[in-house]
Amino acid sequence: MERLLNLTAALLTATRPLTRAEIRERVPGYPPGDDDRGSFRRAFERDKDALREMGIPLVLREVPGTDPVVEGYLIPRDQYALRDPGLEPDELAAIHLAAAAVQLDGMRGTEAIWKLGGVPAGGDGADTLAALPTIPQLVPLFTAVSERRPVTFGYRGEQRTVDPHRLSFTRGRWYLDGEDHTRGASRQFRLDRVEGDVTLGEPGSFERPRSLDAGGSRPWEMGGEEPLDARVRVDADLAGWAVDHLGGDAVVAEDADGVEVALRVTNRDAFRSFVLGFLDHAEVLGPPELRADMVAWLQELAGEGA
Amino acid sequence: MARRSADARLRRLLALVPWVVAQDGPTLDEVCARFGLTQDELVAELDLLFLCGVHPFTPDSLIDVLVADGRVWIRYADYLERPLRLTPEEGLALVAAGTALLAVPGSDAEGPLARGLAKLASVLGVDPREALDIDLGSAPEAVLEALRAAISARRQVEIDYYAYGRDERTRRVVDPHAVFAAEGEWYLSAYCHLVRAPRRFRVDRVRSIILLDRQFDRRQEVQARTVFEPAPSDPRVVLELEPRARWVCERYPVEECVELGGGRVRVTLAVSERAWLERLLLRLGGAATIVQGDDGVGPAAAARVLDRYRRGPAVSLGPE
Repeated sequence: MERLLNLTAALLTATRPLTRAEIRERVPGYPPGDDDRGSFRRAFERDKDALREMGIPLVLREVPGTDPVVEGYLIPRDQYALRDPGLEPDELAAIHLAAAAVQLDGMRGTEAIWKLGGVPAGGDGADTLAALPTIPQLVPLFTAVSERRPVTFGYRGEQRTVDPHRLSFTRGRWYLDGEDHTRGASRQFRLDRVEGDVTLGEPGSFERPRSLDAGGSRPWEMGGEEPLDARVRVDADLAGWAVDHLGGDAVVAEDADGVEVALRVTNRDAFRSFVLGFLDHAEVLGPPELRADMVAWLQELAGEGA
Repeated sequence: MARRSADARLRRLLALVPWVVAQDGPTLDEVCARFGLTQDELVAELDLLFLCGVHPFTPDSLIDVLVADGRVWIRYADYLERPLRLTPEEGLALVAAGTALLAVPGSDAEGPLARGLAKLASVLGVDPREALDIDLGSAPEAVLEALRAAISARRQVEIDYYAYGRDERTRRVVDPHAVFAAEGEWYLSAYCHLVRAPRRFRVDRVRSIILLDRQFDRRQEVQARTVFEPAPSDPRVVLELEPRARWVCERYPVEECVELGGGRVRVTLAVSERAWLERLLLRLGGAATIVQGDDGVGPAAAARVLDRYRRGPAVSLGPE
């Protein structure tokens, strides 16, 4: 470990790339040996891997003035250092609590907090509110979204190239929204269906469109059908639940037996599914065509024929 | 193994040194608390720092560590004055956690988390509002808040709860242990005094909540956070689905999904509650055929709902 720290120090302070020979000379702790092979080489390779795995940017560059060209190693300080985000103590504490409350499976938040200066003890009492599943492609895709780099990946047996606009997590799954070059259209991809590695293109390759206002959980509004203003009666037992989902604005009448809500429907199938979720505790009041639609659907299923 | 722990120690040290350098002699206690070390471990790390520095390893090129009166100073480590940048994984872990929590009902959109997240995101070069959208699920803010308060005060609560699977509403006293989000919904895990057993409840189906004056003492182990675990004894139904009903494979916990050709599939589902199956069958209508299990469930449910329509509209339409 001293050797790793000394190696980091040597490469951070170097004013030009250091050759392997120079590293062996300047960094104590490498096995003795008279050439650039054998045990030194193996130890140095391991150290390089260890540093890179930690996220230390170790680069290989030409040593200036060498002929024939010799390559050497360097850690560019501007790439090494974390820019100071200037967090106030309460802000860092809040981020720390958030990282404890919402965990991404297998990802370490603790060390990130250390890098930001750590928080005084006492902030560990937070319960985990959610553990989000992760998949190996999540980190490269997040990098691609952040840096606006196109990505190429396998999806349903086909290679797709996509401008990744946004990652979202909903109903327990990760999705990627983006412009699919292969299809020439906006598409949503389920990340657990992405096959194999993700290849990243050049940073800054596209402009991210402004996010659409998420229509959210109102599937009956997601359709291109002629809009209809529906009225639905929901019995008292489930009225509260319905109002939570629809918002108080949807309520047009309320009494001891329940509520009457108004919905704008552009997708009849989704509307019918929503109302059927209440079983016999709700009823479509109107317009007549939606009510007739529901009755016909139920008759068919009940085996009565229309 | 030894190698791995050396890496972990180095990562910690590369974060600890910059912080100590930036302070004027913080106490050893504070350093330990911030970086999760015991005093002995910290002393061992500092001893090691003494041996580190840069070529030619003359005294002024070695890192200097001074410990006095329970405080610590680190000098000659200018090249370590800034912490190592966050890895993409760490950046994602923090930004995702912050984004998710800010979307929880009742969170303060102007508070320290929102401010801190914005600063962090700008250093990482990402706009979380544009790049990331994490929805843990919706739940009534008042209920969620009341439950979290009751959990931290270890107070019993009485809830008015709608059991979706059985289509039944009950009042019950519970010891609330934890709330958590999973698969897009918020859950309460609690000891339920009505059934005298631990239970999980969907927060959005808690109609009202009363904070009781009774405390519960022993906080039980929070159960595994799987949401639906079919019991081996639960009846199974096998459905054949038309292509337009294939979405069932993705939205329901199907145990088996067999392609039948032409886009049709055969799925096996564990059914613990009848009302749950009724809803599914009502929604699928003619797109599903029961090939194993009681094929009367769907028609019976449809007939029951239909009865309601036969009685005519319950009330006249409300005001425009």
